[in-house]
This record gives sequence, C-alpha cells and structure tokens, in this order.
Amino acid sequence: MTQANDGAAAGPVLECVDVERRFGGLAALSGIHMHVNRGEIFGLVGPNGSGKTTLTNAITGFYPPQKGSIRFGGRDITGTPPHRVAGMGIARTFQNLALFNGMTVLDNILLGRHIHMRPSVLRTALYWWMARAEETRHRAAVEEVIDFMQLQSVRSELVDGIPIGMKKRVELARALVAEPTFLILDEPMAGMNQEEKEYMARFILDARDERGVTVLMIEHHMDVITGICDRVMVLSYGESIGTGVPSEVIADPRVIKAYLGSAHGAH
Amino acid sequence: MFLRQSGIHHASYSADRALFPIPFDRWAVAVLLAFGLAAPWLVSSLTLSTYLLPWIVWTTAALGLNLILGWAGQFHFGYAAIMGIGAYATVHGTRHGIPFEIAIVLGGLTAAAIGVVFSFTALRVKGLYLALSTLALQFCMDWVISHVPAISGGTQATLQAPPLKILGQGVSSETGYYYLALAWCLLVTVFMLNLKRSSLGRALVAVREKDFAAAVIGVNSFYYKLVAFATSSFIGGVTGAVLIFSFYHAVTPEQFAVNVSIEVLAMVIVGGLASIIGSFFGAAFILLMPGLMNALITWVSARLGLGLSVETLAHLPHAVYGALIIAFLLVEPMGLGKLYNNVRNYLLVWPFGYTRK
Repeated sequence: MTQANDGAAAGPVLECVDVERRFGGLAALSGIHMHVNRGEIFGLVGPNGSGKTTLTNAITGFYPPQKGSIRFGGRDITGTPPHRVAGMGIARTFQNLALFNGMTVLDNILLGRHIHMRPSVLRTALYWWMARAEETRHRAAVEEVIDFMQLQSVRSELVDGIPIGMKKRVELARALVAEPTFLILDEPMAGMNQEEKEYMARFILDARDERGVTVLMIEHHMDVITGICDRVMVLSYGESIGTGVPSEVIADPRVIKAYLGSAHGAH
Repeated sequence: MFLRQSGIHHASYSADRALFPIPFDRWAVAVLLAFGLAAPWLVSSLTLSTYLLPWIVWTTAALGLNLILGWAGQFHFGYAAIMGIGAYATVHGTRHGIPFEIAIVLGGLTAAAIGVVFSFTALRVKGLYLALSTLALQFCMDWVISHVPAISGGTQATLQAPPLKILGQGVSSETGYYYLALAWCLLVTVFMLNLKRSSLGRALVAVREKDFAAAVIGVNSFYYKLVAFATSSFIGGVTGAVLIFSFYHAVTPEQFAVNVSIEVLAMVIVGGLASIIGSFFGAAFILLMPGLMNALITWVSARLGLGLSVETLAHLPHAVYGALIIAFLLVEPMGLGKLYNNVRNYLLVWPFGYTRK
C-alpha cells in the first residue's frame, strides 16, 4: 500500500532479526528471527508466557528490544515510539480490549482515523470553517468500515455497554479504519463462542483479501490457526521452536512437547 | 413530549454532528441566550452583579479546568494560580498602557506559557503525583506573586485595575461588565461544544481513558497533554483577567489562593467531569448554595421559632451544604450534568421508557 512496500512485492513486509528482550534476569524473547510476507496471515502461537505478546510489544514500540532489529517495509523501526509506529501503518488490537470507555462506538472508531486527521485548537475553535469538512470526510471512511464489520446496530451506543464479542469487532474496526498495511491481532477470538469466532475469522480473511492488509495474529484456537493462517511460528520460553505451514508445525514433536508437556511427548 | 428524537432524520453526516440536533434543545438554548442577553433589563442590577456575573465568570473558569481534568483526565490543583497569572499579567499590561483587548490576550498567553513550561516537568508523573505537583505550582505562584513587589505592588498590596476600555470606549456600568463576562463565557462554551465533536476532543479522551491504547492509534499522549494544559491555562488566564476587570476591579494574591483552586475543582466535580452543562450547574451550586442555605435556614428557624443560637445559625448552613454535595455525588457520581442527562434521557422517550434499557 505505501510506497515503501510497492517495490518489494514478494519480499517480507516485517522482519525481526535476532530480537532479544529481557525483563531483569528473565529473557522474555531471545534470538527471534521472523519474517512476515506481504498479504500473509501469520500466526503466532505458544503456551502462556512464551513471549507472544512481548514480541508484538517489541514490534509496536512498547518494549523496544535490547538486541536485534525490527524492519518494517524496508525501514528500521527498532525502538520507534508506539505513536510513530502507528503512523507508519501498523495497527493492532489488544488481548484485553483497549477501547475508550465513555465514548460511543462511532467515536471510538473515528479515533482510529487519528493519524489521518489534523487535530488542533484552532480547528476546534473554528469548527464550522476548518474542521467540519474534514470530520465529514473521515466519517464517510468510518461508515464504510462500520458496514464492513456489521456494526451499524451499535453505532451510537456507549462502548462500555455492548457485549464482548461486539467490543472485539469495534476494536478491529478501529484498527482497520486507520488503513493500515500491517495488522497485529492479539487473541482476537479470546472469550468468543463458535459463532462469534467464525464471524471474526471471516472478517480477518476479508480484511486481507479486500483491504490488502498483512496480518500477524496471536491465537490459541488451533482450529482458527490451521483454518486461516498461511504460516505460523511457535514460541516457547521466549525462543522460536518452529516456523512453517500450520498443519506441519503443530505436528512437530517439539511443539507438542511445548504445549502438552514432556510426559505426553515421551511415549 | 416536547423533548423527543422521533421524526428527526439526518440526511448528512454534518447534520448528524450538529450541536443541538433536537429541536427542543435548540429552543431551550435560544431562550436561555435571549435571557442572558436581556438579563440587564430583566433582573435588578444587584442580582446581576452579585449573582449572574460571578456565576458566568466562574462557570468559564470551571469549563477551563474541565478541559484539563474532565477531557484530558489530568489532575490540576493549581488552577487559581493560572487564573492569577493571567489576571496579574493583564492588569500590568493595561497599567503600562497596552489596550485591554491586547493585554487580555497577552495575559492568557502568559498563563499558557507558564502553564506549559510547568507541565513539561509535571507531566512526567501521573495521577496523584501530578495532583501534588500542580499543588506545588499553586504555592510557588502564591509565593512569587506576594514576594515580588514588581508583580504584586508590594507585600499585602492591592493592585488597582485601570478603568476598563474596550475598542476605545470606556466601560464602567454593571451591564458592560456583565456583557464582557458573558461574551467570554459564550466563546469558551462554544469552544467546548466543538471540542466534544472534534478530533482534538477525541484525542484528549483517548489520553484520559487509556494512554497505551491512545499510542497504538497514533496519539502522542505527551503532546496532547501539553496542548490540553496550554489551552486550559489560556482559558484560565483570560478568565482570571475577566474576573478582575468585571468583578473585583483590583487584584490581590488572596483572590487566587489555594482555597479558590479547590473551589473551582469542586465546581467541576459537583457539576460533572467532561460535562459542559455540568460546569454551569456546578458553578451555580458552589457559588450560590451557601448563601441560599443560609437564608433558608435563618428563615425556617425564624418561622418555626426554633430559637437557634447565632453560632448554630452560622455553622449549620455549612454542614447542610457539605451534606448536599455528598448526597448529590452519592446519587450520581458523575455530577449534576449527568443528573440532568438522566432526566433528559428519560423525557426523550417518555412515555415509552422501555425503548431504552
């Protein structure tokens, strides 16, 4: 989508080279090599505490890696602060929802347009002359995503009051409306029932197919991983123990051992 | 009934974002505005200068504080100091022959500049620590103002404000003062209404609610906190100057002491965080309730022949006033503004309340 990406159609959009992140003595991530190709849905799996969220936090600038580098669209983004990373076209959602309570669904999604808008005191003071046209233009973009994510019925509800499945969709909508080229989803289906999961999987596939977004997704549901991911990487204790096509990777004895424990893997 | 949503269909996004989409609200605003403009002829000059004028000025101050506290979610215990900076700067400016219109803008800018320089350091901490460091701003300012003769005019001094002149016209009537305050109040109110529906306002709420989530959508929290501090300080500074030129006519450090900061804070909290109409209610409540309580209790005691002692009569109103604040906040922690909204939401669908959960 962006100019930086146009040249490298087949090459990786995101590249992590030898990424290491420590918290005191604990190595949350060490020696991570990962690359995500353009247009891919890339899964990130692993037991609790294996460093999946830490890796996304390293990419989005919350916990910059102490060693190694992260490249996005050919640019080194290691250590870039989160709000700048967002401006480069990386959007993300959170495991435990990070919506803005006290605002309507519409305003939450409108906030996703922030990087495309120019908020200022002057524009606010002279709203009719300097902001109304801009607000209307971005509202149109927001309404398109509201249609895409089928959120029309809750548009003007306060976001605190809608069901969790809807909240997850609002969060994805807020990420999508920024027109990112790269989308990071941290457990988008946590706490969902089968029907909601299927909806969500459909939205993620559509986002990739219709909006050209590359997706990096943390997920625990193996059916989802095998169903929609092109490639997957398995983390265990901060190290990568396998990357590849989901059906092959989850059959790997090391992966089974990491997930189910050594006693099971022994026989 | 009168207040209803049914039958209102928006055909464009800008109509959907109109300030007052419901006809009843538009009428109410028009009537209130007409009353506000005609007030000098409708109420006695005593009521105008002792109730209406201070109410409007303090409402403006509360709105300014609400911007930083209600919208951006940053504690500020030194708002009176900010108002004081604006007031002193404007008074000094006019005393040095700068026209009032320019001096008051300079006063606001001075307050904004000091507010920003201060918040550069203060915003490195959050929550209660920020509250304490803003309290430090208050005490620093108190001390600087009263100990630097060049600012205060000497210890214990009262600095007279020069006669008010707007666009070369001398303004010396209560009506003129009132219109000055009203004009500024309307400007700030309109700004806050626009803030509610603009990208700046949304960014501030994002910073208030979850700063990590704000960062993830590209909002630079620190920058927007600074913008909020600067804007709110500008409003505070100008309001301080308006307060001096329209109400006190002379400036002393005690007018902007810490208890005044607490009072404005109380207006915002009782009125409701991030509520515009709440700031109007909050200011009215904090300003007028003590007097009303006093009158009411004296009247009741005389009427029923309770024979309360002078001391009881002096203290009881304060106790009742305090109890009322607690009672209101227990009923609706989001303040009088939310209370008003609850009633409004009820009336919007009356008598079909079940349409709203």
